[in-house]
Amino acid sequence: MAHPSSQPSGNALSAAFIVLAVPLIGAGFLRQFLLAEDWRLVLGLLALFAVVLVVLERLPALETRIETAFARQSRLALLVGIVVVLGFPFALGGNTYALHLCVISMLYAVLALALNFQLGSANIPNFATGASYGIGAYASALLALNFGVSFWLALPAAAVVATIFGFLLGIPSMRTRDSYLALVTIAFGVVVHQLLNNLEFTGGPNGLVGIPVPELFGHAFSDPLVIFGQSLPPQANFYYLSALLVFISIVFAERLHDSRVGLAWNALRADELAARCQGINVTWYKVLAFAVDAFLAGFAGTIYAFYVGFISPDNFTFLVSVTIMTMVIAGGMDNILGVIVGAFLLTLLPEKLRAFSDYRILFFGVTVILFLMIRPQGLFPQRLRRYGD
Amino acid sequence: MSELFFQQVVNWITLGSIYALIAVGFSLLFGVLNIIHFSHGDVSLLAPFFALSVISALGSVMGQAGSLPVLLLGLAVAIAVTGAVGVLLDLVVIQRFRKAPAMMALVATVALGIVLRELIRHLFPNGSNPHAFPRLVDGDITLAGYSVPLFSLAVVAVSTLSVGALFFMLNNTRLGLHIKAVSQDRDAARLMAISPGRIFRATFFVASAIGAVGGLFFSSYAGMARFDFSIDVGLIGFSAAVVGGLGSMPGAIIGSLMIAGLDTLVQAVVPNGASYRLVFVFLLVICVLVFRPSGLLGRTLVEKV
Repeated sequence: MAHPSSQPSGNALSAAFIVLAVPLIGAGFLRQFLLAEDWRLVLGLLALFAVVLVVLERLPALETRIETAFARQSRLALLVGIVVVLGFPFALGGNTYALHLCVISMLYAVLALALNFQLGSANIPNFATGASYGIGAYASALLALNFGVSFWLALPAAAVVATIFGFLLGIPSMRTRDSYLALVTIAFGVVVHQLLNNLEFTGGPNGLVGIPVPELFGHAFSDPLVIFGQSLPPQANFYYLSALLVFISIVFAERLHDSRVGLAWNALRADELAARCQGINVTWYKVLAFAVDAFLAGFAGTIYAFYVGFISPDNFTFLVSVTIMTMVIAGGMDNILGVIVGAFLLTLLPEKLRAFSDYRILFFGVTVILFLMIRPQGLFPQRLRRYGD
Repeated sequence: MSELFFQQVVNWITLGSIYALIAVGFSLLFGVLNIIHFSHGDVSLLAPFFALSVISALGSVMGQAGSLPVLLLGLAVAIAVTGAVGVLLDLVVIQRFRKAPAMMALVATVALGIVLRELIRHLFPNGSNPHAFPRLVDGDITLAGYSVPLFSLAVVAVSTLSVGALFFMLNNTRLGLHIKAVSQDRDAARLMAISPGRIFRATFFVASAIGAVGGLFFSSYAGMARFDFSIDVGLIGFSAAVVGGLGSMPGAIIGSLMIAGLDTLVQAVVPNGASYRLVFVFLLVICVLVFRPSGLLGRTLVEKV
C-alpha cells in the first residue's frame, strides 16, 4: 500500500469524499435514531453503532485514514459540519419531540464538555456540575423575573455568577485531594440543592415559573422559525442557539486542550508532584478547571431555563451530576468527540427506550460500573498528543 | 438543666452513636483498602429491608406467637446478609479497582450506591414507598429525675459494644493483626503469608455488618425504612469519617458526635432547621477540610521530593 502522501491529488479527492461522507452518515444515523419509534429498531441501530465502533477499532488503518482526511481538509470539514448542523432540523420533518431531544442532548453535551476539563483533562473528581448548571439557570431566571433583564444580558451574567461559585468551590481544592475533594464537591452540590429548595426567593420546591421567552431582533423564540419559506417548529430557535453554544464550547475546549493550560491539566493528571516540580502552579490550574466548568455549565443552565420556562431544584440534583459524569466516562475522557457522543447517547437512550424509563437511573449506574470495569477509556479513548502537524 | 435540653442531649448521643456505627466502616475500609467505598452507606441501609423481609416471611409462618424471637432472628439474618453483600460487592466490582487510580474506584462505588438504591426500589415489594419499621426497644426509664427512652440506651450500649468489639478485634486478635499488617504494607503482608484478598473480604464483612447495625438502628429511630435514606445517611457517615480523619477509628467516632451535635443543634435552634440540616453539616465538613485537609485525627501525608 502506498504511503498516503505519495499520491497528493487522488488523496485530496478521497479525503474530501471522506470528509463529506462521514458527517452525512453520522447525521443520517442520528436522524433515524431520533425518529425511531419501535424499541427493536432502536436496539438495532445501537447494534449497528457498536459494529461500526468495533470495525474502526479493528482496522486502525481506516481510522487513521479518516483522521488524516479530517486533518487535511479541516476547512471543508468545518463547512460540512456547519451545513449539516444547520440543515438537520429540516431533515426531522417538523417532529417537535425529536427537536426537543436534540436541544436537551446538546445542553448535556455542553455540560459534559465542561466536566471533561476536570474529570478528563486533570482527573479531578467533580460531582457539582449539576449544581453549577442550577446556579446558572437560577441566576438568569431570577434576573429576568425580578429585574426584567433580557435573555442576552442574563446569559453572560449567569455565567459570571456560576463562575464565581466555581471559584468558591475550587478554593477547598487548594488543600484537599482525591476522596476529600470529591466529598467537598458532593457537599457543595447537596448544599446548593437544599438552599434552592428552601430559600424564599428561589421559590422553594416549586421553583421559578414563567421565565420569559427570549427575543432576537423582534423575533420571539416561541414563534415558528421560517427559513427560506420553510417553517420550523419553535424548538428550532433553541436548537440553533444550543448548537451555537456547543460549537463555542468545542472551540473553547480545543483551544484549551492545545494550550499550555491543557498541557498543565494533563500534567496534573499524570503526576501532580512531578507537575509541581516542573513549576506548574498546581493550585491555580485546579481552581481554573473548576471555574471553566462552572462557566460553561452556567451558559447551559441559562439556555435550559429560558427554553423550558420553568425550573425547580429537582432539575439540578446530585443525580444530574452523576449523569453528566456517566456521559464523560462512557464517551471517553479527554476526547471531545467521545464526550459529545456520550452525551447524545445517554440522553437519547432512556427517552427512546421508554418501556424501561423507570429503570433509567439503574441503567446509568450499571453503565458507569460496566464501563469502568470493562472499558475504562470509554467509547472513544483519549488521543495521544501529536505535535508538528 | 431543663427537660428539653436533656432530651436534646439524649437525642444527640443516640444519633451520634448511630452515625458512628456507619462512619467506623468507612474509616476501616479506607484504612485497609486505601479507597473510598462510597456505597458503604447504601450497603448499611440494606439491612432494614433484609430484616423486614425475614420478619414478614417468618411472621406469616409463625403467627403472632413468636414475635420477639422472629424480630431477633430477622435482625441477626439482616446483619449477616448485609455483611455478605459487602463481601459480594468486593468480589464482583470493587476488587477490580485495587490497582486503578483512586478516582475510578470512587466513581465506581458512587455508581454502585445508586445501583443498590435502585435495586431496592425495584425488587423490594412497593420499594418506592416508606415501610414501617418497628421500634426495637420500647418504653422509658427514669434516670436522675429525667425520663430516657430505653431505645436510646440500647443504641448507645450496642454501639459501644460493637465498636469496642471492633477495637478489641483489631488490637488483640490474629485477624486484627493481619488487617493492620495489610493496611500498612500489602506486599510485606503477603510475604508474611497473609493473603490480602482474604483480609479484604474479612474487612468488608466486618465493616458492612457493623454498618448494618447502624442501618437497623437508624430505620428504627426514624420508624421507617426508605430506599433513599441511604443518600443522607451515607453522606453523613462519610462526612463524619472524613471530619475525624479517614483511617482513624477514634476520629470517626469524634466526627460522628460532632456532626450529630451540629445536626441536633440546628434542628433545635434554627427555624425550619430540619430542611437545612445538611447545609450546616457540610459547611462544617468544608471548614474542617480547609483547615485540616486530612481531618482532625488523620495522618497528614506530605509528599516530598
